Amino acid sequence: MENIIEVRNLVKKFGDLTAVNIDSLKIRRGELFGLLGPNGSGKTTTVKLLTGQIRPTKGDAKVLGISILKDPIKIRELVGIIPEQENPPSFLTAEEYLYFVAKIRKLDNIRKKCEEWFKFLEFEDQRDVLCKDLSRGTRQKLMFAQAFIHEPTLAFIDEPLINLDPIIQRKVKDYLMEFVKKGGTIFFSTHVLEIAEEICTTIGIIDKGKIIYKGPIKELKKRRQHLEQFFIKLVKES
Amino acid sequence: MFEIFWNMMKEEWRIHSSIFGNFMFALFPIVLLFFSFAGSLVIPIFIEILPLKQVILIAHYSFVLLGLSVGSFGLLGREAMNRRFGHASLIAYSSRNLPISDKRILLNFYVKDIVYYFLLWILPFVFGFAIASQIISVDISYALLFLITLTLSFLIGLSISFFLSTVYVHSLKLLIAIILSLITLNTFFTIYLKIDILALLPPLVFFYNRSVFQVFLSLLIIFVLSGLSILFMKVEYTEKKRRFKDRLEDLSNRFKFSNYSVFIAKDFLDLDRSEGGVGKIIFSFLFPIAIIWVMLYFFLKFVPVNYLIIFSILLGVISSSVYNWLTEFDLFTSYSFLPVKVSTVMKSKIHSYAMINLVSIFILFLLAIWRNELNYFAPALLTLISISFYTLSITIYLTGLYPNVLLYNAKIFLIYVISISPILLVMIFLSMLDPSILFISLTLLLPSFHILRKSYEKWEEWEQPSF
Ligand SMILES: Nc1ncnc2c1ncn2[C@@H]1O[C@H](COP(=O)(O)OP(=O)(O)O)[C@@H](O)[C@H]1O
Ligand SMILES: [Mg+2]
Repeated sequence: MENIIEVRNLVKKFGDLTAVNIDSLKIRRGELFGLLGPNGSGKTTTVKLLTGQIRPTKGDAKVLGISILKDPIKIRELVGIIPEQENPPSFLTAEEYLYFVAKIRKLDNIRKKCEEWFKFLEFEDQRDVLCKDLSRGTRQKLMFAQAFIHEPTLAFIDEPLINLDPIIQRKVKDYLMEFVKKGGTIFFSTHVLEIAEEICTTIGIIDKGKIIYKGPIKELKKRRQHLEQFFIKLVKES
Repeated sequence: MFEIFWNMMKEEWRIHSSIFGNFMFALFPIVLLFFSFAGSLVIPIFIEILPLKQVILIAHYSFVLLGLSVGSFGLLGREAMNRRFGHASLIAYSSRNLPISDKRILLNFYVKDIVYYFLLWILPFVFGFAIASQIISVDISYALLFLITLTLSFLIGLSISFFLSTVYVHSLKLLIAIILSLITLNTFFTIYLKIDILALLPPLVFFYNRSVFQVFLSLLIIFVLSGLSILFMKVEYTEKKRRFKDRLEDLSNRFKFSNYSVFIAKDFLDLDRSEGGVGKIIFSFLFPIAIIWVMLYFFLKFVPVNYLIIFSILLGVISSSVYNWLTEFDLFTSYSFLPVKVSTVMKSKIHSYAMINLVSIFILFLLAIWRNELNYFAPALLTLISISFYTLSITIYLTGLYPNVLLYNAKIFLIYVISISPILLVMIFLSMLDPSILFISLTLLLPSFHILRKSYEKWEEWEQPSF
């Protein structure tokens, strides 16, 4: 199973608006794939489709070999997801929330795992604070921990990291690069080009729901092209 | 000042109408008007069994009750809105950013509630009666009178619940003390002085004697109580970080017997830690029960039915409102990225629901002892469980995880009423024949399970909204 994600003619419409219309997209094991696109171009919708959170209007996709139509729950069992809006529910504290997720994922040694994540992302002093009252940065840390606590082989990350302070951002970037080196795969959606340029191995550019470019980031670097200029040119042309 | 108020009205309308469209939302008062119209038409039949005086009394106390529940909903409504829109978008919270005092904002909030519910509930109700009055040949001036007295009753209920919730925010002990002394006072009046304290409700007295003094008295009660609430209202800003000891694991271990223990534990923490705490349940649950208790007391003087049974039927319906609380604090979007099905969340809510409803059973048990009717406890208990479960299944089928929002949709509300009320009437009728017949209420469980199974399918298919 080389292709971790395989999309064929995936369409999502909201009324008259076609939010996503992807003919074909393949992502291999070990890729740190960055999906780049302007606001409203369909990144979040793509992530939600691929993780079975919403149903496609047409088409199908396989994630880890599982059809998004047939077994969306299985997919979400296997992958980790950091959603765009990081809103942990209700009135749990940060620590309780992590325990809650771990319990839903039926993990063992929950306490120890939580401990490690609090240490790694340096927010032990915030563990007893209600999720609602956490700063945005801390909430992103919590959502990051939540997505990786079950040691998935594939993770979807939607517009992350922007609120993290530079030190943690460094740690997280290193973690992600290490993650794919060890055989994991990351689907990373963002409109922040610098981060993508720094860590991604492959990029895809999406505009108005269509993937208008996909290729390894090395190629751009070889051509001494800046991602930013390339991106602007492509989006303008499309 | 007026601008703040107007913007709050728009905000409230936007919140509701954005969810089901202006049209459906506007239909809600029309449905209400229709019900009041139909209800008024049968008054001539109704007064054959129940003296007109009691009907009027019940009408007034229904609006006191409405006020009470709107007030307690206010507590919860704010919570709900925070969740949906975040603090920043709410005008009620803008005193943090704008040079306006909180008290002024709260006053506006209060007035907004009044105007809003006046337009949405009172006016349609009176209007329905006014139309029917032409058919059953009642003088139309009674409609005008109702408009005044029902509004006053509503406001009294609203200010009582605002007042009590303010007391609650300061001290639970004080609240309990106040409620206990009210009960004692009531007992003293009824038993020793033989004064019927319920009949003393000023708007009700005004209905009969038209003395301006009663209006003055009503307004006095309203202004004093709501004035005190606004004066002593504590607005809790959440800028401070609320910290809690980790309790989720302990709690969920206690619910080990259920497959959904961690969800149930979360529901309990939500109820406990949200604004108003568990005390909310006192307002939304025990208040209606207390009032129904009292109203039944009057009603049943004239109708040959078993008190305990009727009470259990109504208790069953009211207890289903616990589901609304349970779904108030989380959105499915906070689970949608986890391996959790909609039906899993629903089932976990049903388990929490069953747990909390042990309270209803306890209340019924107390009542059975108090009235020395333990021999009817078994059928009453079965009735309570069946009705409660049936109402719950209808609620879940119609509104999924969003009863607080979708029950305001006129069409859904109509189907809700139509699915539940005939069953209640049949039950009441059967209980008149012989209370022990109600053992058959257990058969209601079958359709309920079926409806629940259908609900899981229905809502699994539905794309979860993110309101
Ligand atoms: N639930 C929805 N209903 C209607 N339109 C939606 C919904 N979700 C997204 N859209 C629309 O689909 C388009 C793509 O949105 P989105 O995937 O969120 O973009 P991105 O994440 O790239 O900013 C936007 O035009 C957005 O308005
Ligand atoms: Mg997005």
